Amino acid sequence: MLDQFTQGFAMAMRLDTVALMSFGLFAGMLVGALPGFTTLMAMAILLPISFFLDPVVGIPFLLGIYKGGIFGGSVPAILISMPGTGASVATSRDGYKLTQKGQSRKALDMALVSSVFGDTASDIFTIAMIFPIAFLVMQFGPPELFAVLLMSLVIIAATSGTNPVKSLMMIMLGLWLSFIGTDPLGGVERFTFGLFDLKSGIPLLPMLIGVFALPEVASVVIRNEKARKLTSLVGERLNWAELRRCMPTIGRSTVIGTMVGIVPGLGQIVAAMMGYSAAKNASKHPETFGEGELEGVAAAEAANNAVNGPTMVPLLTLGIPGDNVTAILLGAFVAQGLRPGPQLFEEQGATVFAILVAMVIANLLFLVIGYLSIPIFSRLVTIRTSVLIPLVIMFAFAGTYVYRSDPVDLLMLVGFGIFGIIARAAKFDVMPMVMGFILGPSMEYAFGQTIAMSGGDTAGFFLTERIGALCVLIATPVIGFLLWKRLNARALPA
Amino acid sequence: MMHDSPVSNERPSVHGAPLTHRDRLRSPETLTLAALLIASALSLLCLGSLVAEPKALFGRSLSAIPPSLFPMLVLTALALLSAIALVLQLRGMVPDEGAPLSVPDSPRATALFGIMLLYALILTQIGFLISTIVAVSLISLLMGARSIPQIAAVAILGPVLLYLAATRLLAVSLPELDVVETIYAAIPGL
Repeated sequence: MLDQFTQGFAMAMRLDTVALMSFGLFAGMLVGALPGFTTLMAMAILLPISFFLDPVVGIPFLLGIYKGGIFGGSVPAILISMPGTGASVATSRDGYKLTQKGQSRKALDMALVSSVFGDTASDIFTIAMIFPIAFLVMQFGPPELFAVLLMSLVIIAATSGTNPVKSLMMIMLGLWLSFIGTDPLGGVERFTFGLFDLKSGIPLLPMLIGVFALPEVASVVIRNEKARKLTSLVGERLNWAELRRCMPTIGRSTVIGTMVGIVPGLGQIVAAMMGYSAAKNASKHPETFGEGELEGVAAAEAANNAVNGPTMVPLLTLGIPGDNVTAILLGAFVAQGLRPGPQLFEEQGATVFAILVAMVIANLLFLVIGYLSIPIFSRLVTIRTSVLIPLVIMFAFAGTYVYRSDPVDLLMLVGFGIFGIIARAAKFDVMPMVMGFILGPSMEYAFGQTIAMSGGDTAGFFLTERIGALCVLIATPVIGFLLWKRLNARALPA
Repeated sequence: MMHDSPVSNERPSVHGAPLTHRDRLRSPETLTLAALLIASALSLLCLGSLVAEPKALFGRSLSAIPPSLFPMLVLTALALLSAIALVLQLRGMVPDEGAPLSVPDSPRATALFGIMLLYALILTQIGFLISTIVAVSLISLLMGARSIPQIAAVAILGPVLLYLAATRLLAVSLPELDVVETIYAAIPGL
């Protein structure tokens, strides 16, 4: 393992990796700072670029966009009370109040420092934990894998939106879409309607860009957003005394974000809210939260960025994307020929370490780039959407086309975009559908192998030979129900 | 937020006015749920013709499970969930999840997707540059841009720079007309 780590470290220090990661960070911050534009949109649209780069360059490039985008989202949240991403909603509560008090620079500095701290600490935790977890996962057989995949989907349904029935429906729809094409077990055609273009199944990229990026674009068009008035960047910078005062809060939020990141489906928004609530509960002056408290900014930002590293644990060890952004990362891994799962650690251990080390390096670059670019990003709120939106659509189409050079993919892109809009109007979350689509083939394969192993007596097989998998299957609905209950009982902290 | 009185059909909307049964019937949620229910039920009924027979060798199936088994389980679950959700929706027993899209929003979204559909259909036919100029100009106009220099700059510079970056830096191909390729090739240094 040490050899793999050393090799991975050397691979991560490549100049092109660092350069593309820096570009990714800058692009992520830029997009995150544009109100109405999200990290998800940026990643979906720039994903095809990573296909043409080496894995240790392309994936860190996407990770740069991911990390930069979450911080970028805090810029409009603090300056104009318009969170650039959902993860910045909690940040805007105190951040915007600080701006109104003439302390926007201090708030942005705190957002940057706490983001970098939370991210770095959680990345180091990920590096330390991912190989032992992968070793544990290697002991899994098909029944255990099926049970864990089912549990992940149920957790995603429970944590996505307020209506778990709708989320379960979207998972089933995603699984159904994954059946289109050739059966992974028997090699026969299913749901192709005799169309040649559907024989190889639905490609992931048009679906990702279609359901994640195009509805975001459409919502900007529908709202007819124009450029906003610039709020000037004013006030003193963050000082050491203020940072020291907030360190316990940053540490607590980092732990919360790290724990949340491991569980598929929870993501940055939940982490930021939990971090914020915990900081408020622990504070001697909870009444100052929501009124321009620096600790409020630190709590939310450290927690939402601490999610980034641990989401890689289920992704890399089991191939389970923890949220919609890691679903896009999974697409990048697959396109690069890196199939996430325990075998990845045996076959490509050095590459995995290179990617993880690159995440830590990205944080150092993040601090420098973020510090120098805050004044630039604070001006982005003034850019006209009539310039940005057409270019985003151009990127979406070009990116989709270069993936397979198949014109049918463009029609699928538009089709999924329309579906994304309908799903929004009907208040369905598309994330569970994408998860179902991605996990469908693995799940069906594990299901088929389990049935074959049981020799016709599935119940007896689980009871006598696979007690662990049976326990997971029994616990799954209970965990799902408890998570849903807990998340829906917790309102936005007042 | 679950509603305490499931029998009440007068669930207040996000705008304060109570939703009538007719509103609920015509809502995007009801229509989507009904579409999913119909699609999953029809697929279940026609599963035999939608899934090919398993391959067999000497009379034995080559597959561990019938290829229609897992789809049948998933489609049954989807049909059941859709039916449950539809009943809950029509009886006003679902949690309030925020404001739906309003009717005046639709024309802008329809226009946007109309332009995108046109873009998808013409991109490979008339090449990346011309199709992008058309699509970007139309979307700029839809977004309220009225400055011809601004529209022209975005519509021409955007695709030219992206095409050159994709083909020269990333070595990937975008569909382009031969005549446009010739013009690019004539640019010194490219």
